[in-house]
Amino acid sequence: MEPKEITSTLRAYIIERYAIAAGDADFTDDVHLFDYGYVDSFGAVDLVSFVQQTFGITVSQSDMIAYPMNTINEIAMFTSLRKKGEL
Amino acid sequence: MASLTFELENTTADYLGQVQYALAFLSEDVLSYHIDEFARQVAIEFRPGADIEAMRPRVDELLRRYQQSEFGMKSAVSFDQRRKLPEIDAWAGLLERRWVTPVGEGHVILRGLAARLHALVDQKAVAIFTRAFHAEPEIFPSTIKSETLHRCHHFASFPEHMDFVSHLKQDLEVLSAFSSACRNEGWSATLHEGNMGAHDFAISPSCCYHAYEGMEGWDLEKPGRCITATLNCHRYEGANHKSLSRLRSFNMREVVWVGQPGWVIASRARAEELIQEWAKDWELSCTLEIANDMFFTDDFAVKASFQRQQEAKRELRMEIPADRNSISVFSSNFHATTFGKAFGITVGGRPAVSACVGWGCERWVYALFCQFGFEPANWPAGLKRDFDAFSAGGAL
Repeated sequence: MEPKEITSTLRAYIIERYAIAAGDADFTDDVHLFDYGYVDSFGAVDLVSFVQQTFGITVSQSDMIAYPMNTINEIAMFTSLRKKGEL
Repeated sequence: MASLTFELENTTADYLGQVQYALAFLSEDVLSYHIDEFARQVAIEFRPGADIEAMRPRVDELLRRYQQSEFGMKSAVSFDQRRKLPEIDAWAGLLERRWVTPVGEGHVILRGLAARLHALVDQKAVAIFTRAFHAEPEIFPSTIKSETLHRCHHFASFPEHMDFVSHLKQDLEVLSAFSSACRNEGWSATLHEGNMGAHDFAISPSCCYHAYEGMEGWDLEKPGRCITATLNCHRYEGANHKSLSRLRSFNMREVVWVGQPGWVIASRARAEELIQEWAKDWELSCTLEIANDMFFTDDFAVKASFQRQQEAKRELRMEIPADRNSISVFSSNFHATTFGKAFGITVGGRPAVSACVGWGCERWVYALFCQFGFEPANWPAGLKRDFDAFSAGGAL
């Protein structure tokens, strides 16, 4: 799966799951999902589950501390590298 | 006397601190408990006649609750300043000088140098932060609607420390009977049973909730508002009440930012720089480190670890040499859109984000006496300079 495809899948999931309004100018692939209030703590649990199930990777607690995963692009980058075995 | 002993799998300071706090709320049948971190055990003593087998799963649940985390328990110290300090029993010294008088569980009266230091800390916080952020002063009532706390999700996370308030029923017979009984037999708590109105208010457990409810439905001008207020707050902590470090009734100064994310985040970061400058100036032995709230309920695993992972809470912790530990005297908190959404506060049409910093004034007083003693002439130069200026009525 190409990084662009991961980004696109993540974006579509987040828009639907967290009811992001169409035309929300702040919502970009680089927006901090938590600081801007798009996803809260329980939403983050769901998001991690989605990433693991959809992309077939594991995300450990130490991964969440070691790697920034606050934006769509950051999550996609982590997912891509983990799938390639580079993380 | 009935007792139970449990093995501890985790002896990290954070975990033991959570367990120590939470065991106070296990049951009213608990007489005492002791955590022995070296033996990796906790021993709990119960009242005679208590069903201790029924207590076993409760203890297991608490010990398990604070082991779990969804996002790991990130820890990092962003500022570390240590001094070699003597061991001073500040509590005994304050009582001896009558600068503190306990007046009930977790309630104290401060006077003398303790009262003056309390005022100095508050005045310095206002001077520095009003200057830096043009914080607008607001005056808050001491009690808050229970409904407001519910909307802040407070009860879902911290039910254990609430001090609710009520009044006698608006009923002539109830009022007359209460008054008559007090006059003839003396007051006792049993006179309240069945005679109280609804607990629709509580004593505020924190200062900033009023700030959000006060702006309900507002669309703020960019970048947002900065507010400062002080409030006498209450948190009931059962067996954990101790000296000035864990009071039931305490005073909190807060600075609150509500507005656009970038502005709020930058303001919080600047506030953390300012508190470090303050700590350096007063030569405090302290750290500024990632922390989490004492979420009491079973969502601890999600909320506390997410708070740490996002570095949404940092605490300035001052060393207490005589206790061989430290206490939090200042916290810096980022709430994202939690309160903006709860109270419909927007900025530019989007839910506002918020952050706050808070000083526990009595804890500052206690930690300062613990670190530097009772004689201002021996205090660090910066603290003495500010104390002298404050005493002379000058600007800080």
